[in-house]
Amino acid sequence: MAVPGPEPSDESLASRAVAGDESAFEVLVVRYQARAYRLAYRLLGAEGDPQDALQEAFLQVFRKLPSFRGEAKFATWLFRIVTNAALMQRRRRARRPAESLELYLPRFDASGLHAGTPAELQAAAHVEERLDRRLLAEKALAGIERLPDGYRAAFVLRDLEELPTAEVAEVLGLEPAAVRQRVHRARLMLRGYLSDLVGVKP
Amino acid sequence: MTPQVSCVSGVEQLMDYLEDVLPLERRADLEAHLAVCARCVAFVASYRETPGVLRRATLAVPPPDLAPRVLEFLRRRG
Repeated sequence: MAVPGPEPSDESLASRAVAGDESAFEVLVVRYQARAYRLAYRLLGAEGDPQDALQEAFLQVFRKLPSFRGEAKFATWLFRIVTNAALMQRRRRARRPAESLELYLPRFDASGLHAGTPAELQAAAHVEERLDRRLLAEKALAGIERLPDGYRAAFVLRDLEELPTAEVAEVLGLEPAAVRQRVHRARLMLRGYLSDLVGVKP
Repeated sequence: MTPQVSCVSGVEQLMDYLEDVLPLERRADLEAHLAVCARCVAFVASYRETPGVLRRATLAVPPPDLAPRVLEFLRRRG
């Protein structure tokens, strides 16, 4: 019986695909389809078509593969292409302007102390215990959708896909400090949004 | 004497603190504030939970035939 060798790396599959090995490209598609789909789904919201974004993204990957020089990791490069494909789809889609999440930013009193009691301030941490799962799934997607465009991708990549900040910076072409700033603002708004879902002012 | 950290400035520095890029002295000031501010402790707990709540709520499962459909699309268009 043949002993399976170690899984080939993304980069070696990419160079085999460039050399014309179709099965190597297929392995890459199979390897990344679920993650890429989830990323597109989170970026696009309820009205999006993640499969369409994914097809466009993999088509671009296929076409641009010969110019992939391996300066970035293959995954980083792929996430950039998927993120851009989702962004293009959002731009094509006629959308109602989303109501800003700014109103969910934390509130402070005149002396700079948190408004609200500790129990109120903690409410967002207990949303899963208090809200029906299906309703929460729907509201979560709607909340992410309402983030300002510049924050959404940073938040989704860093906090939902759990890429390290440095990699998010590479995907989005930003400095790590700018990624942290955007993710932080997104967390503040979404934290308040979750609080509001269980009837507590942020 | 260390400068007073208010809840406002504590919140501003939270991401840098959690990512371990806050300068040491400011880190100590923030920790001193957290040691005495129950509101900030509660706030930090909910701030830290927020990504996980949203991550678990948005776990999309791709259609089972996604990969073959993508590959078929590429064969037609590639």
